[in-house]
Amino acid sequence: MDFEPVIGIEIHAQLKTKSKMFSSAPVSFGDRPNSNVAPLDIAFPGALPTVNKEAIIYAIRVCHALNMKIDDLLVFDRKNYFYSDLPKGYQLTQYFRPIGKDGYLTLKSNIFEKKIGIERLHIEEDTCKQIHEADYSLLDYNRSGIPLLEIVSLPEISSGLEAQKFVEEVRSILTFLDVSDGKMENGSLRCDVNVSLREKGSNKLGTKVEIKNLNSFSNIQKAIDFEIDRQKSLLLDGKKLKQETRRFDENRQETVLMRVKVDDVDYKYFTDPNIVPIRLSEAFIKKAIEDMPELASSKHNRYLSYGLNEYDANLLVSSKEISDFFDEGIKTGVNPKSLANWVIQDVFSYLNKEDINIKESKVSALNLCELISFIEKNEISNKQAREVFAKMTISGHTAKEIILENNMSQMNDEKLLSEIRLILP
Amino acid sequence: MRYLSKPLKEIHDAILRNEVTPLDLVKEGLSYVGKDNNNAFEYICNKEAIDAVNKLDSSKKNSLLYGVPIVIKDCFSTKSIPTTASSNMLSDYIPCFDAEVVTRLKNAGAIIIGKTTMDELAMGGSGTSGRKGMTYNPWDKRRKHIIGGSSCGSAAAVSSGLTPIGIGSDTGDSVRKPASYSGLVGFKPTWGRISRYGMFQFASSLDHVAYFTRNVFDSAYLLNVLAGHDNKDFSSGYEDVIDYTKDLSKSIKGKRIAVIKEVLDCCSPKTIECFNKTLDQLRVEGAIVDIVSIDEKILKAIYPTYFIISSSEATSNNANLDGLKFGSRCEGNSFEEVMINTRTKCFSPLIKRRFIIGSLSLSKTHREELFVRAQKCRRLIVDSFNKVFEKYDFIYCPASPTTAPLFKGYNPRFNGDVNVADNYLAFANFGGNPSITIPIGFENNMPFGGNFTAKPHFDSELLNVASILEKHTGLMNLVKENE
Amino acid sequence: MNKVDKKTLKLAANRLMFDMSEEEYDRLVSEFDLIIEQMNLISDIEGVDDVSPMSFPFEQTFTYLREDEVKDVLSTEEVIRNAKDVKGSQIKLPRVIK
Repeated sequence: MDFEPVIGIEIHAQLKTKSKMFSSAPVSFGDRPNSNVAPLDIAFPGALPTVNKEAIIYAIRVCHALNMKIDDLLVFDRKNYFYSDLPKGYQLTQYFRPIGKDGYLTLKSNIFEKKIGIERLHIEEDTCKQIHEADYSLLDYNRSGIPLLEIVSLPEISSGLEAQKFVEEVRSILTFLDVSDGKMENGSLRCDVNVSLREKGSNKLGTKVEIKNLNSFSNIQKAIDFEIDRQKSLLLDGKKLKQETRRFDENRQETVLMRVKVDDVDYKYFTDPNIVPIRLSEAFIKKAIEDMPELASSKHNRYLSYGLNEYDANLLVSSKEISDFFDEGIKTGVNPKSLANWVIQDVFSYLNKEDINIKESKVSALNLCELISFIEKNEISNKQAREVFAKMTISGHTAKEIILENNMSQMNDEKLLSEIRLILP
Repeated sequence: MRYLSKPLKEIHDAILRNEVTPLDLVKEGLSYVGKDNNNAFEYICNKEAIDAVNKLDSSKKNSLLYGVPIVIKDCFSTKSIPTTASSNMLSDYIPCFDAEVVTRLKNAGAIIIGKTTMDELAMGGSGTSGRKGMTYNPWDKRRKHIIGGSSCGSAAAVSSGLTPIGIGSDTGDSVRKPASYSGLVGFKPTWGRISRYGMFQFASSLDHVAYFTRNVFDSAYLLNVLAGHDNKDFSSGYEDVIDYTKDLSKSIKGKRIAVIKEVLDCCSPKTIECFNKTLDQLRVEGAIVDIVSIDEKILKAIYPTYFIISSSEATSNNANLDGLKFGSRCEGNSFEEVMINTRTKCFSPLIKRRFIIGSLSLSKTHREELFVRAQKCRRLIVDSFNKVFEKYDFIYCPASPTTAPLFKGYNPRFNGDVNVADNYLAFANFGGNPSITIPIGFENNMPFGGNFTAKPHFDSELLNVASILEKHTGLMNLVKENE
Repeated sequence: MNKVDKKTLKLAANRLMFDMSEEEYDRLVSEFDLIIEQMNLISDIEGVDDVSPMSFPFEQTFTYLREDEVKDVLSTEEVIRNAKDVKGSQIKLPRVIK
């Protein structure tokens, strides 16, 4: 018997709007508990939801980046269940009419290109935070109501590696669009996967196992690979699989049972009557898309058009901050290849050495370009430039300042020399 | 001299003439409210009202509500004033924000002197299911007749002359029916005309802010104060707020009024007799009155449709009452136990039964046959009435089959015997139509009313026809004082 | 639609996080029977299954969306004031030690 894995992914991304999805309380982290709460977030009776415009704009942009059909009618539904972290006893979501449908994402590598279908993208809200102590729990409603996008793929992913690439690609889109921090470590990006095995050539789907609470990209691949093997062994042994929810145990590097799926929970969905459906005009959607920040894929192509190679272009789009840094430099008119070399070699090694990210760099893009321009004008040598750069990383001064401070200018010597030559016979 | 049993204009004139001050009015109000024996109050704002009237901004003196004490149903959030929805679940809940209607009333200079009793969580029509028990009908000193509900306390307060205005809510008929039983004007504007922000939700797609007054002018004036879009309520409408008192005396010549035969046929002989007199009076004014027919199957479907939809939405709307973050809390070893113990103890059996029905109606197994079918039937019902509105400006029927029923034998439970005239008013909630009850007669010294309903957004026209009829009947400013 | 039995009602109540007395469940069984009867009558109304369900009183759409600005935030005291058990600035719940 030959099996092929059938994998689907569900991603939740927290949006970095200023205020919450359905209330005007701030979206902010690390603040004193219960200091960012509006009446709706704690479900005081009589509170009503109001829809955040910026969150809708963000959702439209992500839909567009995922090649989805955008629904121009916004309707919200209630997902009803009881839990201590769900103040209203229901979550506002979009069950019947998600804002985005029928999209896809293309996974590219040197060796393959694969389109993964995306079934839906919808808007919902986050639950409140619970801290569990020994015999009590504490509730903090700061997180309650923060906007979430839920992105659901079609079960067209075939391996742990593909799954990891998928999530990385979605993360790239979310961060380049500047709509989410996309950090799995702090919960602004959450990922659940469904794994089943299907007999090769058959249409019949196997038993689905859900893996939740994955907290890093590498764990996505590891968990899925383990799970595929686990299911394969059981099936080859003639055993039956149970519908389960599992989690990845990092210590044991295995998926571990959380709970057996009993019934499908009945959430008693119905359309929320407090939000009259909102018509998004063509102009509104168009503008949201037009004003969209540039995606990594587009930047990548642009960098290739500057004459950079694939490898360098990939490195420069590995994060939004790095590509923004590079783009800021490009604006000065500096030679792209030179800039790319400096960023990838010198800036990266400086960041690695100091263990900081590019936003914390003491050398700004503009200052780096100034340095590069001195090299191009032959005012300093490459060797001198490296010394200057090193000093820039310490003091934060501009190249010009450091050159003058240290009397390093070749130009000044040459100019002086040529002036002397003019005077002397 | 009693002022609060008078119409708004008279109270206001007395203030302008310095015959009485807002403080006097508030003291009068609190004094009479304190002596209320109809069980109309959850909370009396003894301190809060005096504080408010002392801080009253005299620049608001032109408002007819300036310094006027009013009462509000206890399902409206009032900052720092306990709000219980007459439920043990919320017996010590003190909100930290005002409902929008409360804000607008305060801005107009009104002084809240009491939160009134209601059927628990607004689910009921008898005025008997609140945590403090039965609210009595001031018109019946022997206390044998209900006042109806769910806005029982506000109805009792206004009809016993304690204040000229009582704010309530109307989800199926919860203002328009008790208005009939207590000789009041009960007005429910178009859905979305008044912001529901801060009004505890029963069934959001049916809920309306509604209120009691003793004459149509006061109702129209109050609409001027309360109407208008609110950004905090994403279901509130954007129509311009006009002066709703402007066209009250406009001629109704040529207006077409439809009476539903099937509703009229279910009423008592005395009701029919008085009602027919009002038809003559309307004709004298030049209106064209026709008896029309609506399929009885549709009319009989109104109550079960209302019951299913309201129970379903209510289950969800009250899922926030879980004992964890506000309201009553019972002990437990886990949060689940706290939730279960609290909800078991603090909801009455009536509420629980409705929740179970609502929950099952929304469940995957029963959804199509119950909730979705009820939603479809809602459309059929609204379409049927809209067909009448294609040819007629108003639908006018008795607001209740007869006077207020007796407490004894009154069954608040869903029962199969559906008197169409007892259960048709909900059609105006289904379609969001503006609808108003005004007194039209008495039987055995108990009042009963007639109800006009118009197309959505025709609130001004509705108030106009009610005002014209009111002039003919002369049945306005009816008060039955407490002894 | 078929009748609903007491077991189903009890399960529904438990999922709603409460319980009732036996007598109340019995009363509810008969109440529910009546409702089902009424809803069956509704299913006989011509055209009822052909129309679309109604979630709002009238067909309308709005265009307004709230600007993404912070306002109307409650003070921490207001948030926790009505809670029965509080630790620091958080609401406290009992927990079963597993």
